[in-house]
Amino acid sequence: MKNGVISMKEKETKRISENGKEGLTKKELRQIWLRWGFTHLASMSYEKLQSHAWAYSFIPFAEKYYKNDPEAKRRLLTRHSLFYNTEPQTGALINGIVTSMEEEIALGKKVPESMPVNIKTSLMGPLAGLGDSIIQGIIVPTLLSIAMGLANGGNPLGPIFYIISFGIIGPLVSYLCFKYGYRLGVNAVDIVTGENAKRITDSFNVLGIMIVGGLAASYITLATPIKIPMGDEVKPLQDVLDGIFPKVLPLSMVLLSWWLISAKQMTATKVILILTAICTLGVIIGIF
Amino acid sequence: MMDVTLFIQAMLVGILCYLGAIETPWAFGITGGFYILGRPLVAGFLIGLIFGDIQAGVLCGLAVQAVFIANLSTGGATNSEITYAGYGGIGLAMATTKDPAIAVTLAVLIGQTFGLIFYNTRMALYSFWNTRAQKAAENLDTRGIALNHLYYPAISTFFFRAVPVWLAIFYGKGAVNWMLNNVPQVITDIISVLGGVLPALGIALLMSIIVKEKIQLIFFFAGFVLLAFAKLSMISLVFLAALVAYIVYLSIGKPQAATTANTNVSDDFVEDDDLF
Repeated sequence: MKNGVISMKEKETKRISENGKEGLTKKELRQIWLRWGFTHLASMSYEKLQSHAWAYSFIPFAEKYYKNDPEAKRRLLTRHSLFYNTEPQTGALINGIVTSMEEEIALGKKVPESMPVNIKTSLMGPLAGLGDSIIQGIIVPTLLSIAMGLANGGNPLGPIFYIISFGIIGPLVSYLCFKYGYRLGVNAVDIVTGENAKRITDSFNVLGIMIVGGLAASYITLATPIKIPMGDEVKPLQDVLDGIFPKVLPLSMVLLSWWLISAKQMTATKVILILTAICTLGVIIGIF
Repeated sequence: MMDVTLFIQAMLVGILCYLGAIETPWAFGITGGFYILGRPLVAGFLIGLIFGDIQAGVLCGLAVQAVFIANLSTGGATNSEITYAGYGGIGLAMATTKDPAIAVTLAVLIGQTFGLIFYNTRMALYSFWNTRAQKAAENLDTRGIALNHLYYPAISTFFFRAVPVWLAIFYGKGAVNWMLNNVPQVITDIISVLGGVLPALGIALLMSIIVKEKIQLIFFFAGFVLLAFAKLSMISLVFLAALVAYIVYLSIGKPQAATTANTNVSDDFVEDDDLF
């Protein structure tokens, strides 16, 4: 990794070079990032998801380097129309890496054209997992639960807090990821797939899992109206349950859904149907 | 005259539903769209502004947000259509009773039925634009890429998102009133119980991504117990979880570090802190 840092600095000074072409300017880099940042899911379908956002983000790049080389331009645009899907904000890291690689190819350095494609397909999975657990598993639910606390009683401060906080964090994550990806270039691959990255990912996972446990305790409401006789008086069963194991019904619903998804490989839609059936039955026989 | 006001209000809610959709580019992709404008808490606030009653809007948003706290989208698959649910449910509630419970019922109903149907239909149909964008790339037609990746889908998405919500709110008043009067109590009970249970699915989907071995469930239970038994707040849990995560980080140990010099360890530390 030490070597990585050194060669990274060398590379930055050498970006203007070799076949007489100039490297990307700051403005052009920002343009690639913005094109990705705005349109990553613009033509999203089950078949292609984020594929064409890549080709779209490289249009100015193609005009700059391959104006007089239609074959190279065609290869660039088609290799960036292949299936692609990741967490788009943390995933900007991959856009940074691939941009630096495409730049080297355009400047005539010895980088095979299959490399950007390989990098994309091998990194999109790991970064989707990491990004989803950080963004959807940690940042968004945490900010939302703070905002919901502030919004008690109908106070607009709650939503305003959320708009401002995620409005800063989201673009910042995306920008920093892109910048680091570009600066480190191919070295970033070692860092992202290396052993130490695995340590960090595993630790982040633990953070995420604990927060998800907290979410399970906070945001599911399921209680039973059943009353049971306790000696002379009749006591609500829910009070008894709360005394032994608070929130046991919500917990059981989470564990059931998780088991259906992970062990039984069910789709979300199927689980919705099962939960609907359980709720319907429960309400009809009077246990919910 | 009343109808003109409602017509414009419904239109504005429809446009916001479009801007907050996962596939809309205009608010900086999913960052400002799906993750900000698309959240029911934000939707409630904005709809409150449109209907001139911010407090009621935020209260509806708060109630709906609790149901959709663990909304999840991975690989294009989603457990519920949060944007249709938020804008359709809260918008209709604000146009009628302004009751948060009605907003939740409508949001769940819309999110699980019309929302998912519209979403999945659009997801299937947009292969059409993809094929054209692919052809454009092969033919060096950069204008074609822009049109078929950005502009045509953005326009057609408007008809999938803004128009149905606009019409639903404008014409839905009567339907909602009819529903409140005619649908049997047991159905509304089922929908409200289901609304309370549905976050379990989002949470389970999150778990299926991050829980890699069953033994890691111990961290899940730790988080659960800290809130359910020890009654801590979410913010305090974040700090405790960060502490546990750091201890885990230290305990995993540095691979192959045993034989190399110790000085490398601190260097790697600094670099990786930078990265994330």
